[in-house]
Amino acid sequence: MADPPARPVKGRRSKVEGGSARAADRGLHATPPGPLGGSHARPDASAKVAGLTRYVGDLALPGMLHAALATSRVASARIRSLDTRAALAVPDVVAVLTAADVPGQNSIGAVFGDQPLLVTDRVRMVGDRLALVAARTPEAAWIAARAVRADLEAIPGVHDPVAALDEGSPTVHDGGNLFRTLRVVKGKIDSRRSKATVIVEAEYHVGGQDHAYLEPQGCLAIPEGRDRLTIVASCQCPFYIQHAVAKVLGLPLAAVRVEQAPTGGGFGGKEDYPSEPAACAALLAWHTGRPVRLLFHRELDLQVTTKRHAMVVRHRWGADAKGKLQFAEVETFMDAGAYAGLSTVVAERANVSCIGPYAVPAVDVKTHVVYTNNLFGGAYRGFGAPQVTWAAEATIDKLARELGLDPLEMRRRNALDGMARTLCTGQKLVGPVLAREVLESATRMADWDAFRASRPQGSDRLRYGMGISLVLYGCNLHWGGQQLDRSSAVVILQPDGSVIVRVGLTDMGQGNLTAAQTIAAQALGVAPAAVQVWQPDTTTVGDSGPTVASRGSQMSGMAILDAVARLRTRLDPVAAELLGCAAEEVELGGGFATVRGQADRRVTVATVAAEMASRRLECIATGWYRTTPREFDSETGQGDPYEFYAMACHVARVAVDPELGLVTVEEVSAAHDVGRTIHRQALEGQIQGGIVQAMGWGVTEALHLRDGVLVNPNFTDYIIPTAADAPNINIAVLESDGPGGPYGAKGIGEPAFIPTAAAIRNAVCDALGLEIDTLPLTPPTVVAALGDRHPLAWVLEKSR
Amino acid sequence: MDLPVQDVLRPRSLREALRVLADHPGARPVAGGTDLVVQLRDGRRQAELLVDLSRVGLDGITETDRGIAIGAGTTMDVIATHRAVRTHFPALATAASQVGAWPIQCRATLGGNLANASPAADTAPALLVAGAAVTVASARGQSQLPLEELFVGPGRTSLRSNELIVSVLLPVSRTGAGRRLVERFVKVGPRREQIISVVCMAGRVVVAADGRLELVRLAFGSVAPTPVRARATERLLERRVLDDRLRQEALGVVQEDVKPIDDVRAPASYRRLAVATLLDRFLAEVARG
Amino acid sequence: MAERVSVTFTLNGERRTFTVAAGRRLLDLLRDDAGLSGTKEGCGAGECGACTVLLDGRPVTSCLVLAASVEGRSVVTVEGLGGASGALHPFQRALVEKGGVQCGFCTPGVAVTGAAILAQGISEPGERARLLSGNLCRCTGYSKIFEALEAAREGSNG
Repeated sequence: MADPPARPVKGRRSKVEGGSARAADRGLHATPPGPLGGSHARPDASAKVAGLTRYVGDLALPGMLHAALATSRVASARIRSLDTRAALAVPDVVAVLTAADVPGQNSIGAVFGDQPLLVTDRVRMVGDRLALVAARTPEAAWIAARAVRADLEAIPGVHDPVAALDEGSPTVHDGGNLFRTLRVVKGKIDSRRSKATVIVEAEYHVGGQDHAYLEPQGCLAIPEGRDRLTIVASCQCPFYIQHAVAKVLGLPLAAVRVEQAPTGGGFGGKEDYPSEPAACAALLAWHTGRPVRLLFHRELDLQVTTKRHAMVVRHRWGADAKGKLQFAEVETFMDAGAYAGLSTVVAERANVSCIGPYAVPAVDVKTHVVYTNNLFGGAYRGFGAPQVTWAAEATIDKLARELGLDPLEMRRRNALDGMARTLCTGQKLVGPVLAREVLESATRMADWDAFRASRPQGSDRLRYGMGISLVLYGCNLHWGGQQLDRSSAVVILQPDGSVIVRVGLTDMGQGNLTAAQTIAAQALGVAPAAVQVWQPDTTTVGDSGPTVASRGSQMSGMAILDAVARLRTRLDPVAAELLGCAAEEVELGGGFATVRGQADRRVTVATVAAEMASRRLECIATGWYRTTPREFDSETGQGDPYEFYAMACHVARVAVDPELGLVTVEEVSAAHDVGRTIHRQALEGQIQGGIVQAMGWGVTEALHLRDGVLVNPNFTDYIIPTAADAPNINIAVLESDGPGGPYGAKGIGEPAFIPTAAAIRNAVCDALGLEIDTLPLTPPTVVAALGDRHPLAWVLEKSR
Repeated sequence: MDLPVQDVLRPRSLREALRVLADHPGARPVAGGTDLVVQLRDGRRQAELLVDLSRVGLDGITETDRGIAIGAGTTMDVIATHRAVRTHFPALATAASQVGAWPIQCRATLGGNLANASPAADTAPALLVAGAAVTVASARGQSQLPLEELFVGPGRTSLRSNELIVSVLLPVSRTGAGRRLVERFVKVGPRREQIISVVCMAGRVVVAADGRLELVRLAFGSVAPTPVRARATERLLERRVLDDRLRQEALGVVQEDVKPIDDVRAPASYRRLAVATLLDRFLAEVARG
Repeated sequence: MAERVSVTFTLNGERRTFTVAAGRRLLDLLRDDAGLSGTKEGCGAGECGACTVLLDGRPVTSCLVLAASVEGRSVVTVEGLGGASGALHPFQRALVEKGGVQCGFCTPGVAVTGAAILAQGISEPGERARLLSGNLCRCTGYSKIFEALEAAREGSNG
């Protein structure tokens, strides 16, 4: 009825390619019949839809206290004094603690020791903790937290990662604002520059992002007597919390038990950050002897937690007349914020990902990690890769435009493949290299050629565009994190044939329980419903590192397979005895142990389990997995940063209303090199969710910082996509036999996110015929990019 | 967490509600609570005493010979789907369907949307172009004022603390033979749904048989301290025949009617361009016929 | 000290009376006083929809509803969507089958709004998306939630 801002009507017609036939039919290594690659109901789903899942905010204990934080509202100041008397006087307040009350080390940094749990003399960012409160009611706790009086003397701060490197800039820490510079140096830039006929120089301003998981940060600390305690937390990395709490309380690691609560989304935001609230709750619990629960409200969560790093990325890239890339120079300034956190680790991925899956003979990359007084950067899905990918894919399109080449053709001419297998780090890819395949698959689903041949003409005010983004994702942890790249599993076969599985990697919604269940069921030849995977708990499995880097399924899966193999050294002989065959002939599948090649000679796995129990055989097995050690030179960035890689390509189709700067993402076609599908529905869910989350980052999710204060710390003005914004999504799943995890699977969580925003950016620029080098593409940003080309630009002159 | 209020009273009639407000200066009425509860929670507004209007019976839409009267307690979903509202005041129906998301629309009331006096209140421009009058009651009696006189500044109205908005009257006039009514509400924001207007506009135009614009009412949200009528533009256009030149002129004149600021949602320059764009599109539609 | 008020209403089909602080939100009454922790608080400002419940059959964000104001009315939470038997609503079942659940924190609100959409018989995709837009989900990208809505509609049609 109304004449709305021109936005196209959406239908929902998604295409899905690949993956329904059995692996063997697709020319892949065959697996015995089982749940692998299917879509059985997720084990956690029925409780979640009924509202029966107990998140940490749903847990309470008798005598439990509620915690609150007194945090700084300014970004840079000296602390003259701190007065907690008014806070202590608030009725129902039990404890108000400051740095002096920390029994162990007052230090919480994930990698470096630059961040105190509670500040003493200096405020370096908004959210720095001045004091902790425990009270009998949450209302009293937060009132008391506000009553903590800090006498602060403002000192100049720095809020721009480029300006922070100027001589004379205020320094955030002693030792200057440049914390690290990482490099990739390959080939000779100078000699290659002379071969380039087109050179693109650009400076990209790529904004940060809040994780906006639906469940804010929360944890519960429970003292267990006077010498140990349990933490239940919404988190991705219980082992990080274990280490952090032990350090702050001065306890042995074994005295700190961390159980992961069902976790309402993470996306990296519950990798490093939850150690901070957990240490706060633990300290309060330690002092009061009472259980203490700390729940963040949304404004606090948005205001003080880690963010995706904002980056400034400078490019000088050249290509020859045929479009072959000759050299690429990249200089990236990462806004680390006030503390190092995981910034150097994020920088490692950004540093080696910034060239993309392209063969470039000469590369010079500098990645600077810079302190500012802004909110600190942390882990976020893609871990530095989305920002540098956004820049790289923009530059590829600019080069194509300069050369008059189709952006698809430009990528075809430079993508790595079976012949050109060498990355910018000098690493030679092993196994199938599917960059071209994902590129062709995604553009085919998007009808790339047809779109370019006859661009749709909508109403006179809409412009349509299509853009590509092609990426290479290094699976699992970077070389720099190798010491953490191991995992543990425990498998217990019950006398009734049901199975308990414990792993050290967490499910925060992405589906690790489902993946672990599928893999265990496949390996033991039982139905998924027979396998119960329980929440991770640091006392039941060995330290398995963090659940990050899309490594959950791989690392838990490999450890489970190891555990099952060990269990079968005891199970197979019993089965063989029951079947009257040799142990080597026993196969598990479909709920049965069978004699290989003789499906009719069978006995149920449950029967074998009962027999094992009656013989008092060991029905529990542990499993362990380590990734392959690699060499890497951190001075030159040459070597093998990752064990193996996954390729992904997204193609976005957009409609832009240029006069209002409104971007509508109509469709995204996504092709992914997944190795092997473990659970089809969960895989699709990761891709669909990654795309929409990345669309939010690319288009609407601006973090507005003023002097280090987030001025939009709420969902009213921090704008994440709703159901009405979701595009059509086409998915192609490319399976292959190559290096990978369990059954050849590669991670999907991050590859699903990394390409999208760049594809959208390229589509918008295609639609408008101009370059926009600032993310996100909010309406004011798009309109500003039009400048005098806005048909009504003259009204601004008039109103001056 | 509990809201920081001391007490809540729950009158069962308008009379009782008005008496409670008269007896307790500083008491704050609450209907749907979709704005007030948020503001109480984050400290933007304070109230010791709330007066819950749930059972006062201010909801409902009635058609009279004077027009359509919408009770102040009527929720947005009801307004958006009401047949008479959609027929006579389509801009209001559209605006009501875009106030927050569905669970907000099922709770937010028209009276609350106006009493909250947000410059971005979506129903306000639609009501302004409808020529709405607000009926206000206190223990002393009822009075009526043009809607424009209700808004004083961001979050501020001319209501006294003992007064309540009880209804909003939309006068229905016959368009008449040979005349054509064009009425629209359009909202601009970075997301398709559930978004606070960066700019919104309502327009109501009656085109006479000879092509002259007989009646022109234009109103904007989020471009001034209150929702505003674009009076200068209206004067420019009234009794004229719309052509491309006049349309262009209007886009310049409307800039005098608005005073946008830079804020977290958009810079003033964006809002000025959006105002011009929305007006341009509306006038193009009027011209198309 | 805040005054306490008594409120009587129908909760998941059962008539209940609670005495709560004057400033209590319906959300906290449900979670803390009634022990129905399925309803979640994601933002406290009516923006995310995790706290959505049915009030007299219409979806509302319970974080913005004053508990005292539901006197005499009917509230249905995610725990009561399937009726008194404790069974799941067809849309809840469809969410499980179609993979419309990931972290699960938005899910109770999504289930409630989706059930309300189905109850209204709305099948036009654009209108469904508009009505669901008050329930933010950060995990799924909404695709499988739409699939579940469609499946539940088809299921209920026979």
